[in-house]
Amino acid sequence: MAEDFSPVCGEEILHVSNLSVNRSGNEIINDINMSITCGEFVGIVGPNGGGKSTLILTILGLLKPRTGSVNVYGKTPMSNATLGRIGWVPQAATELPHNLRITVKEFIQLGLLSSSFLKQHLDFFISPTVFFKRRKKNQLKVENIIETVGLKQYANTMISNLSGGQRQRAAIGKALASEADFLLMDEPMVGVDLESRNSIMRLLDNLCHNQNKTIVMVSHDLASMKRTVHRMIYLEHEIRYDGTTEDFPDLSSLAELRGIEPTHPEADSTKSDVTKSDDVVIIVSPGAEGGES
Amino acid sequence: MVIGSLVIDLLGPILELIAPFIPGEVFPLYFTKVYYQRPLIAAIVVSIVAGFLGTFLLIRNLALIGDGLAHVTFGAIAIGLVVGWVDPLWWALGLSIVAAISIDFLSYRKWLTGDTAIAIFLTGMLGLGIVVTRIWGGGSLASVEGYLWGSLNLIDEESFNFIVTVCIFAYILLIIMYRSILAISIDSIAARVQGLPVPFISLVWSILIALVVVSMVQIVGVLLVTALLVTPAAIAQLVSRSFLTCVILSQIFGVITVLLGLYYSTELGTGSGSMIALVSAVLFVIVAISKALIKVFYLPNENTN
Repeated sequence: MAEDFSPVCGEEILHVSNLSVNRSGNEIINDINMSITCGEFVGIVGPNGGGKSTLILTILGLLKPRTGSVNVYGKTPMSNATLGRIGWVPQAATELPHNLRITVKEFIQLGLLSSSFLKQHLDFFISPTVFFKRRKKNQLKVENIIETVGLKQYANTMISNLSGGQRQRAAIGKALASEADFLLMDEPMVGVDLESRNSIMRLLDNLCHNQNKTIVMVSHDLASMKRTVHRMIYLEHEIRYDGTTEDFPDLSSLAELRGIEPTHPEADSTKSDVTKSDDVVIIVSPGAEGGES
Repeated sequence: MVIGSLVIDLLGPILELIAPFIPGEVFPLYFTKVYYQRPLIAAIVVSIVAGFLGTFLLIRNLALIGDGLAHVTFGAIAIGLVVGWVDPLWWALGLSIVAAISIDFLSYRKWLTGDTAIAIFLTGMLGLGIVVTRIWGGGSLASVEGYLWGSLNLIDEESFNFIVTVCIFAYILLIIMYRSILAISIDSIAARVQGLPVPFISLVWSILIALVVVSMVQIVGVLLVTALLVTPAAIAQLVSRSFLTCVILSQIFGVITVLLGLYYSTELGTGSGSMIALVSAVLFVIVAISKALIKVFYLPNENTN
């Protein structure tokens, strides 16, 4: 799948320079540089606590950098210019509130909401034609998205009755509805069976190739990632690998990359990934927390 | 007074029209006499708004916040009655809004969980209200008792106007904001990334709860607010298959609860609040049992939850 890929637009979407981020006093990300251009499909891997989620939250603008800078579309995150252009598919996408009665269609419609939602309501009184035109357009858009993510026959099914993989597709649909062309995903494969993983990967691959979306994905699932993404980044406080998927070291040399023994009998069980994903490849060991290689 | 009298002028004749079809000996009075029409309309209006709001309370796991704010309201009203404020409800509204915002703030900052914050406000303000009444209010709780259990006699022209105005305002706010409230209830980070003004929406949400709860206090009473706020929404959740039907059914169940509750309370001479609470609980049990029976006998193969 990972054939030679040349981005069509070539615009730089994300620029990270000399970024360091602290979380509760610990330095999680230490002086990293990276750049992502339009149309790329990037997978970020690394141990728990290695800074993957921290990096994503910083790109979203929910965490502030200690030093260095993050630019999305040339602007600081969470500024008006970037709102709505970034789509966020959270780790907890499959864990919706227990009491929620909501259909797939209604769920994806929530993605249409934007900062101007109050103004759009006022249109009902000011210019009803605009209001109803937009309503119609949005309905069409949601229907298209439902078809894109392959949930057409489930459009009116309640989310709580879907499988993990189908819910994940709905979550991707919600992010797409916001007209985002830069999708950030935190562990989209948690709680999704192998078959659905492949189909979600195909969906993401399609989004990248046909709709020119840029996708950055954090995942433990090396196997299905390696089959789809164009570029891999190994992040453990600093970037230890950044390059094509083909050259990404296989499991045995990963430990070498990290500069530690491959197996660590006294690995901290609370920090290991065993509970999170079924095909775990990286186990955090306390000794590696310092990050010296 | 404007909105209140407008509503009574508008709905009064309609109620009189349907009065002949209303069963019972005393209950039809609610449809013919203006003095009784007010509490009836107020109760229906309140139940509609409460049902709407209740759906979100369940999603956000805040079933007891109504109870908490109602107790805050009680404290404020008790103080107001003792001190002799002219409009205790307006004061109560102000204090409840402050309490709702503080509860939201405390749980947002993760200093306290929502439950803990609610529990502290709830008991503290109830205690304050009773202590104030005992010491300065002549030692008897008679003056505030109506607020504890709910009493339709409390609904005079002034408080009718208060309830109707507040409820209409809250309902319009809910219609405008309900999708964004839903979005931040499901995933506030995603909502922020989408560009929704999450702090603003949370603020409106807190104000909304306070508005609805304060307008409910006279009808169902401080101790029974949850019955009308949460139970209709819980019944709706049992039977609905989409968010929209859940919201609509919740309001319908609220109205049914109030009508049945008022009917039985007047015919049997019990207080309105306690009967409404009882009816809502019975209704929930009936719907839950019939749902289980239907599932067992008619839809053995369908997977629902």
